[in-house]
Amino acid sequence: MRRLTIALALGLGVVSVAGCATVEPWQRDRLANPAMQFDPDGGFAAFRAHWQEAREGASGGAGLQGGGCGCK
Amino acid sequence: MAASRTTRIAPLLGAALLTSVLLKSHGAVAQQQDPSLNIQFHGFTDSRSVTVLSPAADLDQDFTDRTSLRMRFGLDAVSAASDSCIRCHPQGANNQRKYVNASVIRKYGDTSLSMGGEFSQESFYQATTGLTSVSRTFNKANTTVAGGYSFSWNRPNLHPSDFNESQIAQNTFVALTQTLTRWTTAQVDYEFSGVTGYQSNPFLRANVDGLLIVGVVPEKRLRRSVTLRVRQALPGNTYLDADYRRYKDDWDLTANTYSLGLSHNFPQWLFSGTFRRHQQTGAYFYAPSYTGSPTYFTADFRLFPFTSNLYTARAVYVPNGQLFGILPTGAGLTFQYEFYDATTGFQAATFSTGFKVPLKRR
Repeated sequence: MRRLTIALALGLGVVSVAGCATVEPWQRDRLANPAMQFDPDGGFAAFRAHWQEAREGASGGAGLQGGGCGCK
Repeated sequence: MAASRTTRIAPLLGAALLTSVLLKSHGAVAQQQDPSLNIQFHGFTDSRSVTVLSPAADLDQDFTDRTSLRMRFGLDAVSAASDSCIRCHPQGANNQRKYVNASVIRKYGDTSLSMGGEFSQESFYQATTGLTSVSRTFNKANTTVAGGYSFSWNRPNLHPSDFNESQIAQNTFVALTQTLTRWTTAQVDYEFSGVTGYQSNPFLRANVDGLLIVGVVPEKRLRRSVTLRVRQALPGNTYLDADYRRYKDDWDLTANTYSLGLSHNFPQWLFSGTFRRHQQTGAYFYAPSYTGSPTYFTADFRLFPFTSNLYTARAVYVPNGQLFGILPTGAGLTFQYEFYDATTGFQAATFSTGFKVPLKRR
């Protein structure tokens, strides 16, 4: 747990410090590319999350576990 | 016991659904999207000869300039079901999973609120979830802070009996997304979830003194994870994405998951390739076989120690004009292939395709 907390604090620190720079709306053309999105296509990600959750004990966590014998 | 739990849980579930003001879906904060209709088809096959065919449809539609609706409906048709089914059904056994979810997203200035829920039904499993989340942008939309909560009531059926068990899963998360430069953006996400109730797998049997017995695992599990994600634009219309996730729970299962991808924009096309590596330890009560009278024992491969690799190739085509001469400008096609390989010997491949049609804004 301590490592998790440290990782979280480091991540937040790095993001916060770097966040002082402001990117204006007209400077965001590269940021607007679909390849820069964190979840560009939810449907594909949801399908992958479902079958990974049926195979990996560390995946998921959002509560929508599937469980029928077809997945096992 | 299941009936009394149901009596206690129903009001909680109702309250969660009624008081939900935000939506979280599989770790992603629900945000207002451009209105669109997405039709997808996914095919899955694995080294056990299990195949899953899964059509799905997503609709994002705005009612006003501040309120939008998101809906998703899908079906998983499972054929030649797995070795745990073959034990009793030598000819195989088919299964289906149907799911539907819906959420309403409303904007108040720089703040987005959403509420929603999901229902999933398959032959021996039912899941009902209420989801809420909130997000707010700051600093000329360079910073986004989000948080959310979900409540799930899952009901596994102890096939071949008719008895239903009950499981409650609650999940919370906070996420910070920050634009670092004109070419770089990053996100850090922390999730905490608690699961109580029946968590064994009624289809998998552990070897205890040479006898095959359905496993017994603790009825409480606390899970935590931290995810760091970076997107970096590179020269020449190329993009890099890198993710790291650290997971730990009180069953002593820890995992490190890394992924690295590259995308390149050609005129009308976006090509991507991603590699993901997942390493996890086993749960503290995991053993290949058991002797004596262990309190907990399992044959659930999700709790085994293993490493897996996932390779993804993806192409997105968005023509400058109409798609097929029919669909409006902005409509596009996506093709995706994935190959999964785990040290447990399990392999799987998926092929997905879909098209997206933009809808008119109100």
